[in-house]
Amino acid sequence: MTDSHKIKQPPDTQELDSILRSSKLVSGGFMGTDQRSYEKVIQSDAADIACTGKTITDIVARMRDISALAERGLGANVTINENIQASATDTRGKIPCPWQHPGLFKKTVTTVKRLNADTILHWSDLSIHLIEKHGFFQGYGSPFRLAPKELVQIIFPA
Amino acid sequence: MKRSVSNNRKHVININGRRDLVVEGGMSLFETLKREQIFLPSACGGRGKCGLCRLKVISGGGPSNQIEKSHLSAKESVEGVRLSCQVKVENDIRIEIPPELLSIREHTAICTRITDLTHDIKEFRLELNKNDEFKYVPGQYIQLRCPKYNGNEEVYRAYSISSNPMDRNAIELMIRLTPNGICTTWCFNYLKEGDIVQFEGPHGNFCLSDTDAPIVFVAGGSGMAPIKCMLHHMKNTGNNRKATFFFGLNLANELFAADLMKQFERDLPNFSFVPVIAQPENQSHWTGETGLVTEALKRNLKDASLHEAYLCGSPGMIDAAIITLTELGIPKGKIFYDRFA
Ligand SMILES: Cc1cc2nc3c(=O)[nH]c(=O)nc-3n(C[C@H](O)[C@H](O)[C@H](O)COP(=O)(O)OP(=O)(O)OC[C@H]3O[C@@H](n4cnc5c(N)ncnc54)[C@H](O)[C@@H]3O)c2cc1C
Ligand code: FES
Ligand SMILES: [Zn+2]
Repeated sequence: MTDSHKIKQPPDTQELDSILRSSKLVSGGFMGTDQRSYEKVIQSDAADIACTGKTITDIVARMRDISALAERGLGANVTINENIQASATDTRGKIPCPWQHPGLFKKTVTTVKRLNADTILHWSDLSIHLIEKHGFFQGYGSPFRLAPKELVQIIFPA
Repeated sequence: MKRSVSNNRKHVININGRRDLVVEGGMSLFETLKREQIFLPSACGGRGKCGLCRLKVISGGGPSNQIEKSHLSAKESVEGVRLSCQVKVENDIRIEIPPELLSIREHTAICTRITDLTHDIKEFRLELNKNDEFKYVPGQYIQLRCPKYNGNEEVYRAYSISSNPMDRNAIELMIRLTPNGICTTWCFNYLKEGDIVQFEGPHGNFCLSDTDAPIVFVAGGSGMAPIKCMLHHMKNTGNNRKATFFFGLNLANELFAADLMKQFERDLPNFSFVPVIAQPENQSHWTGETGLVTEALKRNLKDASLHEAYLCGSPGMIDAAIITLTELGIPKGKIFYDRFA
């Protein structure tokens, strides 16, 4: 077997870190201005989730429910509960996962607005996948970073 | 796949048993074919992430790698399907690719006009060199090249052609700004009138059938683009099929191209335009259809079983419209939309 025929493995830690920091897949990358390694980001967010009493499975299921309700609004705001409204943008096209998962994720973005407060969260289908499969909420400064505690506080009814 | 330096050896790529390309080895098959003006679909620019650059390798090309195995089914692997961006050209290769991909060409154009359609949709007019005729079927799209800028890598993005197909030396695109989007941010903030742009195409098989069946067009936002192109084509060819265009928007102030649609209503005797505003602002005094576009479909179409439907918009809108239109009697096989959108 020649050198170039060696079976290529899914991205190693270093390669993945550089993909996550680059603009190869998304503008500005997934790490924002965060200097920590992506593994540290995942560990630290996992610790934050543990404090909320929710699991990744709970969070992802709730995000999916909200996105599904928002999509039914076809761009208009949809009331999710007395505290939040959500809408879905109409961006066409699909985007891959920076880890080596097969398949593409819709670019549709769900925007969640907390009523009577300025808080707005948004996530794409890829964000949900990154949380579900990789526990990755993204680095500080990424436009799609979701701080786990804030996310839980907003999306789950009080 | 990392791009490697050419190995300086010549190899032959045989395409569909009909055409031989003599190429320099060392790069991926995807890049090598691109250099030979053969453009395979891609949403990751050859990085092994999207799985769209498939083709069939009959012989050569070495064994498939782990990345390919994660994208391809066992059946596809047995049939010789490979990801062209993961196949390195270092021996002679025989491949099969769909013949329609062979008519895709790269074009250079000047962006001659940028028009605001709404706060987040702009129309871009791209004029080709006089000798460069661009032939396409109304409904098709191009892949616009977004060059490297501000730390972002070069990417290609799909945009439906919205212009009059009689205009062989220019195309127009309706592009909606995606917040934090690589290509749309470039189009809105960096691309200026007079700049040179590149695109390749045409792509896609979203096009009007040649039947007489009445048509339901359903679109939202920039999804108007291919429908507008089809309407120009209907006018150019004197096609008097009954056609109703349901155009879904969130607010009344997001409505655009209404005058042009009124003109189509005058030029095409059986055409009507139905804008549907989800949440009309009080001050807009909107008197037309309101609510979701799917609700308007239900109010206006009682039995659509003989109709054909052409959809363009977000995946959510397409899914919702398919459910409604099938409830109204249109068979799934008569509902058309871009598969990858
Ligand atoms: C066949 C076809 C035809 C099309 N025609 C048109 C058309 O006529 N007009 C039009 O306006 N569009 C059209 N599109 C859509 C277009 O191709 C692009 O997908 C769209 O313009 C966005 O491109 P972009 O480079 O600006 O955004 P991209 O950079 O590719 O993607 C931005 C999206 O990626 C996701 N994302 C970005 N960063 C992150 C992150 N950190 N974490 C998680 N998710 C993230 C979000 O979903 C965000 O919305 C078409 C698409 C297809 C497939
Ligand atoms: S181009 Fe995306 S996987 Fe090959
Ligand atoms: Zn993944």
